[in-house]
Amino acid sequence: MGNFLEAPYLLEAVVVVLGLALLMLEAFLPKADKRLVAYIALFGLAGVLVASFNMKAPENLEHSFWSFYATDNLAFFYKNIAVLATMLVIVMAIEYTPVLEKYVSQGSKQGGLGEFFCLPVFVCAGLMWMASAKEFITIFVSLETVTISFYVLVAYMRRNVGSLEAGVKYLILGALSTGFFVYGVTWVFGLTGETHLEKIGIALQGLEGSDSAVLFAFTLILVGLGFKVAAVPFHVWVPDVYQGAPTPVTAFLSVGSKAAGFIVATRILQPFLEMERLHSSFTTILVIVTGATILFGNFAAIPQTNFKRLLAYSSISHAGFLLLALTCTPDQFQLTPGQVVAFYLATYLLMTMLCFLVLTIVRRSTESDEIAAFSGLHRRSPFLAFALLIGVISLAGVPLTAGFLGKFFVFTLAIDSGRWILLAFAVVGAASGFYYYLKVARAMYWEEPTELAAIEISPLARLALLLLIIATIVFGVYPAPILGLLTN
Amino acid sequence: MLETYLPILMQLGVACGFAVSTLIVSVLLGKSGKTNPVKDSAYECGMLPIGEAQPRFSVKFYLVAMLFVLFDIEVVFMYPWAVVFKDLLVTSLLPVTLGMAGFVFILFIAYLYVLKKGALQWRD
Amino acid sequence: MPSTPAIILFLPLAVAAFVLLASKGFKLNATVCALVSTASVAITLVLSLALIFGAKSDSPDEVVKLFTWADFGSLQLEINATLDRLSRGMLFVVTFIGTLVHVFSLGYMKDDAGKARYYAGLSLFMFSMTGIVLADNFAMMFIFWELVGVSSYILIGHWYTKDSAADAAKKAFLTNRIGDFGFMIGILILFGATGSITFAGVEQGLTAGVLTGGLLTAATLCIFCGAVGKSAQFPLHVWLPDAMEGPTPVSALIHAATMVAAGVYMLVRVSFLIGVSENAATIIAYVGGFTALIAALMATQQDDIKRILAYSTLSQLGYMVMAVGLAAGEAAMFHLFTHAFFKALLFLGSGAVIYACHHEQDIWKMGGLKDKMKGTFATFAIGTAALIAVPFTSGFFSKEAILEAALHHDMLLFLCAAGVALLTAFYMTRLVVVAFFGKARTGHSDHATEVPMIMLAPLMLLAFLSIFSGYSIIADTLSPAAVHSEFNLAIFLTSLGALIAGAGGAWILYAGKDKDPLNIGIFRNKFYFDELYSVIIKFAQDKFAMVVSAVDDLFIDSLCVNGISRAVNGFGLLLRRLQSGNLQGYAFVFGLGILVILYIALINT
Repeated sequence: MGNFLEAPYLLEAVVVVLGLALLMLEAFLPKADKRLVAYIALFGLAGVLVASFNMKAPENLEHSFWSFYATDNLAFFYKNIAVLATMLVIVMAIEYTPVLEKYVSQGSKQGGLGEFFCLPVFVCAGLMWMASAKEFITIFVSLETVTISFYVLVAYMRRNVGSLEAGVKYLILGALSTGFFVYGVTWVFGLTGETHLEKIGIALQGLEGSDSAVLFAFTLILVGLGFKVAAVPFHVWVPDVYQGAPTPVTAFLSVGSKAAGFIVATRILQPFLEMERLHSSFTTILVIVTGATILFGNFAAIPQTNFKRLLAYSSISHAGFLLLALTCTPDQFQLTPGQVVAFYLATYLLMTMLCFLVLTIVRRSTESDEIAAFSGLHRRSPFLAFALLIGVISLAGVPLTAGFLGKFFVFTLAIDSGRWILLAFAVVGAASGFYYYLKVARAMYWEEPTELAAIEISPLARLALLLLIIATIVFGVYPAPILGLLTN
Repeated sequence: MLETYLPILMQLGVACGFAVSTLIVSVLLGKSGKTNPVKDSAYECGMLPIGEAQPRFSVKFYLVAMLFVLFDIEVVFMYPWAVVFKDLLVTSLLPVTLGMAGFVFILFIAYLYVLKKGALQWRD
Repeated sequence: MPSTPAIILFLPLAVAAFVLLASKGFKLNATVCALVSTASVAITLVLSLALIFGAKSDSPDEVVKLFTWADFGSLQLEINATLDRLSRGMLFVVTFIGTLVHVFSLGYMKDDAGKARYYAGLSLFMFSMTGIVLADNFAMMFIFWELVGVSSYILIGHWYTKDSAADAAKKAFLTNRIGDFGFMIGILILFGATGSITFAGVEQGLTAGVLTGGLLTAATLCIFCGAVGKSAQFPLHVWLPDAMEGPTPVSALIHAATMVAAGVYMLVRVSFLIGVSENAATIIAYVGGFTALIAALMATQQDDIKRILAYSTLSQLGYMVMAVGLAAGEAAMFHLFTHAFFKALLFLGSGAVIYACHHEQDIWKMGGLKDKMKGTFATFAIGTAALIAVPFTSGFFSKEAILEAALHHDMLLFLCAAGVALLTAFYMTRLVVVAFFGKARTGHSDHATEVPMIMLAPLMLLAFLSIFSGYSIIADTLSPAAVHSEFNLAIFLTSLGALIAGAGGAWILYAGKDKDPLNIGIFRNKFYFDELYSVIIKFAQDKFAMVVSAVDDLFIDSLCVNGISRAVNGFGLLLRRLQSGNLQGYAFVFGLGILVILYIALINT
């Protein structure tokens, strides 16, 4: 009994209950300020975050349910990422309330806003569950929990055509990719008779013949995952959906959905890549997708003039770097690809959230997502300009920022496993990244503002920005705490 | 390996055969009586057979229908649960029961939410 | 409870952060900030004394592990604290001078607008310098080496609204970068050859003979480059005199007693390297000797009191470097130890003079100060005596040790060193005679009064140590290294002769004069090094810029940028077709992508 109650999956249970409670609060207190829901959500998630550091994997793993639920470092790490991302998204959503009111409520004050603060909590529960899922059905259910919540969130601004369009595109293409994913899973089940990844690994080792079937299944699963992480050519939805969705949701998609895709990819790819007979075929497929993603993401970002769209392409290019890590089979480097990906995602969380938070605040006062809207930002709010500067230079990978170390580890991994062609692509991609990221910096510091009114920042957002800036710089200089969470 | 799918093929054949053969048989055996427009129109219970080609439904209809399907499907989930976890009840009673209790609890909250939001009220 | 070295290292950092945040964010009173900073450095002084007296005479050298900064598997960057006699003694020098300078600054910077910033800078410097002293590996040394450069930059440019200060800060930083670049290459060569960055590991590798011949010499010289930059040796000496634009206490702390000595300290730390590379050692010795000589020559014709002292520092550092090159690292450290006191004394004394004369630095506009500022004069005279090695002052003993090393190894360097001793006596006597004797030449010096006690007290303490720090009762316990040279009549007579000739000559030439009877342009203009460098840099820059611009125009612009941008635009047009916003189109691309991948997966492999 005691063992049962200390189980780590209580974290997810608590998050779900928190979400339900918020929903009830929202339904039964229609008059209250909806932001109250958000503050309670923030508070509750903070509690979960603290608790997650105190959770231990249970001693007795024979228990029948544990075989569905991973309790390794990686799982906890991704749970932390999920909770942190959700908290930041809620902070952003609070900042975004005026825009939402305009496109959702229309007339009635804050009508229909409450759910916008509840849904991220359910997404968070899905993400956390996914971090521990190591069995296809669990993976599928948690993946869909996340995706279905996102369908709603993306189309949330129902009086905004862009948001609706994004919602439809995301729904249709998402359903398409889910279909392929499930089809792939069915094939794997047909081949091995298992849904549990470890057992699938063993079954695949013993499989004779049916190479084509395995490759077919692998490709189909890759399609589903490729959609989630925005890998080329399954990225087609990204620019439009990112641009159309409410900014906090875009941030969540870019961090949460991607993190979810990568933890699942890390876990699913493993049994396949261990299959020596087909190892080279699997990596060939991965390498092609990776190369295309890196090149496309970076090159297509160059001509962008809309910051949100730029961040969408940036998200694709980062997916490329992350995939590059997954193609590697390290020889001497002491971090596994899974750990490097986790580290990269943690840093990616910091810098992306930094950019989106600034974007949300600037959007509120300029009503525009264009890069031109950031012109002369340092005159209007030096703090915001500095925050965004740190965000973009970290995304570009300037040394002494967290983003640099992420790229550094990925490149080291690539060198260690001799992925020279991909490495060349990655270097070209990273170099072009400097161009399009610093374009924003140029607009902020060297161009004249169109208006001079100072931009107000709420204390909560200021605190969040400050913490993100500090974390981006500190982890760029001293990554040991993150690495410690991953390795010990 | 493929022979295991033989019954399915047979089922397919029977299904199609039945549909086709009943049509043929009815034409062969039946007498074609007098026809009038009312007699020729399609019969649908509770619906007016004649009207606009694309009649407008109240959006509430979809809402209620969807909620019905949702709750319906969720309840269907209990059957496999009952069958599959029967054996597990012996060794781990608590997790299995609590699992379903949690599921029902979530459904209940959802029901409360739907009720409170007025989704089941036809009139505003 | 963190270990003592950890506190000594990180307390100043914490204080620097606190002072900066508290004064900026919470508008804390600057005086309070100054007092906090001063208290912290006093604590580190007490702790480093505790380290010295806590160590038994036979206690082994140890390395205290503080934390691992980054772990790259084969390469571990650790922040550790080496505790041996060398580092303990150096720690004492740094914290002691640091404490006095902090106290002195309470008076000197009393009304400065940027006082909080100044103290934050000082604390940051104390942190960086302590890091260098405690380093047990090249990476940590290099990190703090750079940090010292940064804090020095901040402090030299403290009065950043003054162009000359801002320029001097930039010059110091850039010149140091040249040296640091060499230092880094040296570290990389050593790491590449031995696979280790700890001093112990590299030493082991060298003993095993993994690095020999030309590459060893190159590595050693590259490491030496770092010292050339930081300790301002020829040819990178040009930044130090300009660095005197900083507040005078800073000059005393950083540009006389501690930071510039870091180069010497580092060389002694890696003396195992110099020990195995004879060619490099010879070059190091000659660079040191040459620097000592030219700096002394330049000092004879300067008019700015701080610049004279700056050139004197250069020349004394040259002595130390020469000693290191002559395999007499202990003598170098001993001289570093005594020099720290009397040079800090002279700088603080000059600070007192400048303060009293309302920021007048030209010695020809002073004069007659000895009666108006009795305490300052007395202490300044003691400092001068120690610097020109009047027998039985601390400077005498340490200089003796270096002369002895030179005599045993290389006659030419010995003669050079003796010449420098003579010149030192000459220019210091000139300084004292012109500034303190005679009659007041301007109103500023006429109205000068004695400085307050808070500034005078550090001077007295330093004066005491300037005399006695050479005696074994102090030197044996506190100094990083002490040398007890046997009495050598030849050396004694040489140095005495140099002293009398130099001091006497200056007295005869300058007593009672109102303007300089000598005018040697080449010395006055510092051998035209600055001009030479600017011509070289300008020429090289122009040519380089021309080449770069040609490459940029022909290759980068036309081929890479425009070519790529054209390609990207074309590609982009193609992509735009795909990214049409049309949902069916997207689904088509999606499906096509799957087909292509399936084709590759199933058919092509």
